[in-house]
Amino acid sequence: MSTSPQSREQILSRTRAATSSVAQAPDHLADAYAALPRNYIRRGQLASQARIQLMIERLREYDAEVVESTPQALPAAIASQLALSGRHAFVAPEGLPVEWLAAGFDWKIDRGLSTAEIELAQGVLTAASCGIAESGTIVLHHSADEGRRVLTLLPDWHLCILRASQIVETLPEYFSRSQLPPALATWISGPSATADIEMTRIKGVHGPRFLHIIVVHDEFSIQPGLTSPLG
Amino acid sequence: MSLAAAPHPILDPVFAPPFPQAALPVLRNPQLRKNVAHAIDVIQSKRAKLVAEKTDWQQLRSAASGIRAHALENLSFYLEQFEARCTAAGGSVHWASDASEARHIILDLLRRENASEVIKIKTMTSAEIQLNPFLEAAGIRAHETDLAEIILQLGDQEPSHIVVPALHINRSQVREIFARRLGLKDLSDDPHALTAAARTYLRQKFLTIPTAISGANFLIAETGSVAVVESEGNGRMCLTLPRTMITLAGIEKVLPRFQDLEVMLQLLARSATGERMSPYTSLWTGVTPGDGPQSFHVVLLDNGRSSILAKPRERQTLKCIRCAACMNTCPVYRQTGGHAYGSVYPGPIGAILTPQLMQLQHAQSLPYASSLCGACYEVCPVKINIPEVLIDLRAQVTDRERRSFARFFDPMYLGMRIANILFSAAWLFHAAQFFGRIGLRFFTRKDGWIHSLPFLGAKWTQTRDLRGLPSQPFHAWWAARAKEAK
Repeated sequence: MSTSPQSREQILSRTRAATSSVAQAPDHLADAYAALPRNYIRRGQLASQARIQLMIERLREYDAEVVESTPQALPAAIASQLALSGRHAFVAPEGLPVEWLAAGFDWKIDRGLSTAEIELAQGVLTAASCGIAESGTIVLHHSADEGRRVLTLLPDWHLCILRASQIVETLPEYFSRSQLPPALATWISGPSATADIEMTRIKGVHGPRFLHIIVVHDEFSIQPGLTSPLG
Repeated sequence: MSLAAAPHPILDPVFAPPFPQAALPVLRNPQLRKNVAHAIDVIQSKRAKLVAEKTDWQQLRSAASGIRAHALENLSFYLEQFEARCTAAGGSVHWASDASEARHIILDLLRRENASEVIKIKTMTSAEIQLNPFLEAAGIRAHETDLAEIILQLGDQEPSHIVVPALHINRSQVREIFARRLGLKDLSDDPHALTAAARTYLRQKFLTIPTAISGANFLIAETGSVAVVESEGNGRMCLTLPRTMITLAGIEKVLPRFQDLEVMLQLLARSATGERMSPYTSLWTGVTPGDGPQSFHVVLLDNGRSSILAKPRERQTLKCIRCAACMNTCPVYRQTGGHAYGSVYPGPIGAILTPQLMQLQHAQSLPYASSLCGACYEVCPVKINIPEVLIDLRAQVTDRERRSFARFFDPMYLGMRIANILFSAAWLFHAAQFFGRIGLRFFTRKDGWIHSLPFLGAKWTQTRDLRGLPSQPFHAWWAARAKEAK
């Protein structure tokens, strides 16, 4: 075994000694934590339509392609996006609604696909857990309709379905919606990018270079909240 | 021992020359200064725009400062909680007292995997413990995967910034490195082409190398999760594709709860790169069956951090979330770049962190590498009062030096001791003024200024003039005035 138990004890006892005058007693710790200042904005101010428009605007600033749809027209909107991409080989997570898997394309459903099989795919279609309008962020909790992490990583083209009711205005609203912290989460804010050479922003290094979003206007239905994060 | 004695890099504070000396080559290199200034100007203008749009920026800073201070003040509790939750989720937690222990833990883990290669996400902590040369000497090739880190690794260079480590290198220099090391003779210096070359170079490595090393932006005590913030997707590749993942993190990286990310993530990208959020933030918890590495290790590194924690004023150093806003705003860093600091942690935060990690045995010149203008404190998203710590460290360095026998005849300390005696009695002070006036009269020009002094005095007059002593000192004028009034 590579860890010596002495080091653990040593570090913890040094840490304990270092903070002995300021550390809270364990039964007061939660109170001390609750008393920390949190005067920042925790609720958005925008009305529903403005919030969705901000999300779309911010996504477009990242060069993501955004189209809008309704729940009824969604399968057709998906099919049209797939066709426009000029690609035919797609992967999809197991939990995706069957009607999303448009006919006429080569679908591989992830029931334990190998990395090589996913690498061969030209694109991926998934749902999402949340959208954060202020930063144009898509959050994946990697549940059954969002897929394993590798699924939205290797294919160069990602089509993500985001319901309007999943869009919050600010980051704190996402956190207050997440009752249970997810075991896995990926916050995606635009396609992968680098500015390491002379601060010139280059789109697409290792992650998908093309991010497409369909915003589904379901806001008149009951707000379903987040999909269960721990699956 | 066979693994010792890898040649030390220039950023090893143990061997680095003092800051003023290390800064000279940069100050004489106009290309380097231009590269640094350009990069900083771009980040600074983006940052300013995005910080201005946050009307609650100051409230976010206060919240972040409070959370980080609370986490540090109760660090042992949160570390144990993190360990318990991470272990319950299938991770293994290892504890490393110092750099050497961390290196050996990681090497043991890699050997158990029979690894001959490992892919890495950018981690300054691994640079701090000089992991790559150590692994190399042990026969394991570490492949950096962040674009800037690849440029540095292939170009045999060292990081000069903690967020954009290759900001001192321009596109034609990158082209030269890639052409030479990747055998791409016809490569252009267009950043798109250079980035594409790196993508091709790395793709196969991501898909085939089964072990990875990362750092951590945050450890979440409540859940045992680890969060990594990045831009390129190389991090996601390393976190997802290998079968074994090793995360190296300083013990100070812990946050109490998942929800604390709502503050940190709003501050980090805006401060670091001038973005609302970095393209990718990943969070994982131990091992998830069927998704990502099925063997996960966290190495918690002390390496001097617990001794910083013990000092009430210096403790705030550990609040740092490594955004680099302080170096981007620092007028000294702007002129010298990162290498002058002789540490993987440059800029104002490096000037306080490095000497403390070295227990003030090395890097004593760094607390002086500042004009104390306070710009770093103003931009710090977790409100580290860097000037306060700088001054405190200066006092500690001075206290140590003036008591050391080797410095007994050091002109500065000798002068201070003499001044101490002269200032102790009025008559001694008056006598010193009297003789000083006579002695300096010869050097004082008609304009009342001394432009050049011999011997030790030249150290002052080489760079600035000295006001001559007035013909009548204040106390004499005061006494004469009082007499006249009667």
